Amino acid sequence: MIGTRSRWWLYVLLTVALVLVITPFAWMVLGSFKTNAELRQIPPTWWPQNPTLDNFTQLFSRLSFGTYFSNSTIVAVVVTAGNLLFCSMVGYALGMLRFRGRRLIFALILGTLMIPGVVTFVPLFVLVANLGLVDTLPGLFLPFLVAPFGVFLMRQFVLGLPRDLVEAARIDGAGEFRIFFQVILPLLTPALATLGILTFLGSWNNFLWPLVVAQSNDTYTLPVALALYSTGQNEQQYGLLMAGATIVVLPVLVVFLIFQRRFIQGIATTGIK
Amino acid sequence: MSAVTGTRRSAPQSTRAARKAGSSRPPGARREERAGWLLTLPFLLLFGVFTAWPVIQSVFFSVTDITNRDLRTPFQVNFVAFEQYAKAFGDPVFRQAALNTAYFVLVGVPLTMTIALAAAIALNTGITRFRAVYRLGFYTPVITSIVAVAVVWRFLLHPDSGLVNTVLAWVGIDGPNWLGSTTWAMPSLIAMATWRNFGTAMIIFLAGLQAVPQQLHEAAAIDGANAWQRFRNVTVPVLRPTILFVSVTTAIGYLQFFEEPFVMTQGGPLNSTISASMYTYQQFSFGNYGYAAALSYLIFLVIAIVTALQFRFLSEKED
Amino acid sequence: MRRSTLLVALTTTTALALSGCGRDDGGAGDAGAPQTGEAVSTDDLSGELEVWAMGAEGEALPDLVAGFEEQYPEVSVNVTPVPWDSAHDKFVNSITAGTTPDVAMIGTTWMGEFAGMDALDPTPGSIDTSTFFEGAQGTTEVEGTSYGVPWYVETRMVYYRTDIASEAGYDEVPTDQAGFQEMAAAMQEQEGVDWGISLQPGQTGSWQTVVPFAWSRGGQIATEDAYTLDTPENVAAVDYFGSFFDEEISDANPPEGQTEATFTDGSVPMFISGPWMMSLVEDFAAEGGEEDFGSMYDVAPIPTADGGESTSFIGGSNLGVFADTENRDAAWALVDWLTQPETQVEWYDMTSALPSVQSAWDDEALTEDEKLAKFGEQLTTAQAPPSFPTWEQVAAAFDAEMEKVAKQDLSGEEAVRTAQQQAESIGTGQ
Repeated sequence: MIGTRSRWWLYVLLTVALVLVITPFAWMVLGSFKTNAELRQIPPTWWPQNPTLDNFTQLFSRLSFGTYFSNSTIVAVVVTAGNLLFCSMVGYALGMLRFRGRRLIFALILGTLMIPGVVTFVPLFVLVANLGLVDTLPGLFLPFLVAPFGVFLMRQFVLGLPRDLVEAARIDGAGEFRIFFQVILPLLTPALATLGILTFLGSWNNFLWPLVVAQSNDTYTLPVALALYSTGQNEQQYGLLMAGATIVVLPVLVVFLIFQRRFIQGIATTGIK
Repeated sequence: MSAVTGTRRSAPQSTRAARKAGSSRPPGARREERAGWLLTLPFLLLFGVFTAWPVIQSVFFSVTDITNRDLRTPFQVNFVAFEQYAKAFGDPVFRQAALNTAYFVLVGVPLTMTIALAAAIALNTGITRFRAVYRLGFYTPVITSIVAVAVVWRFLLHPDSGLVNTVLAWVGIDGPNWLGSTTWAMPSLIAMATWRNFGTAMIIFLAGLQAVPQQLHEAAAIDGANAWQRFRNVTVPVLRPTILFVSVTTAIGYLQFFEEPFVMTQGGPLNSTISASMYTYQQFSFGNYGYAAALSYLIFLVIAIVTALQFRFLSEKED
Repeated sequence: MRRSTLLVALTTTTALALSGCGRDDGGAGDAGAPQTGEAVSTDDLSGELEVWAMGAEGEALPDLVAGFEEQYPEVSVNVTPVPWDSAHDKFVNSITAGTTPDVAMIGTTWMGEFAGMDALDPTPGSIDTSTFFEGAQGTTEVEGTSYGVPWYVETRMVYYRTDIASEAGYDEVPTDQAGFQEMAAAMQEQEGVDWGISLQPGQTGSWQTVVPFAWSRGGQIATEDAYTLDTPENVAAVDYFGSFFDEEISDANPPEGQTEATFTDGSVPMFISGPWMMSLVEDFAAEGGEEDFGSMYDVAPIPTADGGESTSFIGGSNLGVFADTENRDAAWALVDWLTQPETQVEWYDMTSALPSVQSAWDDEALTEDEKLAKFGEQLTTAQAPPSFPTWEQVAAAFDAEMEKVAKQDLSGEEAVRTAQQQAESIGTGQ
């Protein structure tokens, strides 16, 4: 009975909700085809009155789009890969292995999760500058290769895995690292997908850090470059802003569509105990 | 404080595991010790350099009168102990910001969670088709640029020609100037934050719901339990860990809420929507690093206490 | 682990204690006498220059500096555009870490802060500072020393709809503040007009509306080394500002971002803003089918009272050379070149940025537009806020009080008293 017969009124309700929820998104996409003046009109228009590709052609002709896109991709991919590897290693160690100091390590990690990011920004930048990493791609991704959030997530997931697995592998004579890479890691795939998409999203949209660390056109990322021409000192170019926002969101949509099944599965199996 | 709670929570699990694996413990112990540290080492290096060190420096900031003009000579500042913290308690704007944040969290967190849970249940058990479409649709606010969101919401809430007031006028209600009123600006921002964030929570709930055994539901239905009873007695117990997780992460996020007032109201009108995080950010941009660091650690303290409370009240019934 | 954390904390504290733990009283910024930068030489310039500029300027600048590179073939200029969003954060961080460029476009209100961080090189005597608008030159001076030059300028004027004004019986805008308010009230009486004038009711930047009223009454908001927000002139100016809201000539809760819309449809036929609004309102009207909107409005100077001189707010951006530069001669040569009248006119053609060099305004490109010429006139008397490093913070406190004046009927006297108290506790930061 449950979950088998669908209720028509639920579809109506959900569809109304859906319309309410995606309206701004749709308006953003449609807005990217409007002129700046049309975007400022009151009451606002829904369909573009004089649809134009100007915003996009302006963006593409003014920006070294390829460079920014590849910088963004490199940084997001490296950061995601780093988090997947390191956080799963630590998550496994903290959730499964018994060693002295693991409680303190976990306490530290949880603690830093709660500190507002703005407070460490300046010391972090000075550090990166002293390491000579300003205006380099490593400067953009090194500080984010590991994140407390990822460790927390992976640890919770590992807690749900049966310990017998590890014991059995040990009896078979497997080394600790082989156990991790060959026994544990495959079981973590769904959790890795979850962490992957969240990390990718965060890194892809990061604005302030790349703005400050990247100091030339060669190291700018997409969000920094898009902010360049859409916000003036005294006025906002709404058309460019909408077009830029639309372009930035596309890769995220693709990543979401590819991973969403695994994404949900990942959280489900984590069980968050 | 919450960190302690976190460790305590894991303790029963590991002791249980330890007991189960009791016999093989002695030979494995040294190996585990070594493997544990080896696996943690790369993380600890990166974490120590890029997270812990800046955190230590910022704690040091919070007990000095450092401003951005001192950064080149960071040791030529005055040590002021807890003066910055004391100043925060006497700062009327920060007190107002703290109250606003409390209002936002107390209303926003339950609202977001309720809507997310309702949507998740509807998608999980209520319908059979187009689930992927609804799922993606409800997730779009999460990935839409905040600037686009702000422009659209401003139009929606426009006092004369906005959609909200137009609809209200149909039923004879003269809608207020939402963002211009000290009474209505905060509820407007809560609605907006809920709209923006329920998608993430919904996805996590959806995942949690996968773990609710279908047979249990059906058995309860045969026993004559109505929908509410089934939800209360079958779904909630299984979902409890997920509820805890969503509640903790949403509360941490909302206690640091910042973007909505930043783009919509700049904290106004008359500071009625300024949040603790936004005020902290303002102090940073004015270059008052010592004061801003102290404010950050006050926010941190509140988050830690709230997290600890959530662990205590939401997880105690767990096995 | 815990022990080692403690150790680090202890070491840090000890280092602090050993280093004397406290501020050095004779800081570098307190040298007293105004400085002039060392002379620069323009012979044999070579090397690379890194230049940062914000937004559209950063985008257009490479084309402009091609002319400079032609003149000095051994110098190559690399321009990095920086988004306006958080540009300030980027500069502060770069100064802290010593990763500044050679030359940069700098917001006028950031000068005190950056100079206070010893980041800027004093302007050498070879640059003639008297060629700039006086108010603009003032924005480069911190404690008497000039750290850079004005690059382009803008100022605020009264925009009004000429058609609605003549319906209301006004052929021109009264120059006295009382008469000005009467005009706004009369405009409001006309058909289709909701509010007489749009004035920003507090929040970020509202001081840019209020302070010119004070200046135009002969008031000042600061002396050389202190804020003076609570002078009688300032009280009167704030009361004057508040009376627009008391008498409901201005909307205390206007919807955001609709100045163009309400100005072109006539529902709010007056506002105060900068020169960039000319193209915005005209484009907006053109979009709505009104091609000749330029003839339907005009601009007028900020009204005065008590015999004051019409004094508006001067904004824009400066050019500065960072103290860390390794190519100082070339850096100043570039700055000098960018502020030549011919270069400034060319720059105006490229970006519509208004020249900071007065003589550039004699060029036909600028004289042929009547409204623009009025901005040029207003610029000659326009003033800048004090260049104290803490000005932005004091301005925020002032803006918060202005909001109370507009929305809660706070009296001008109470508002400026509170603002002055806060300003004193914040200090000048010098």
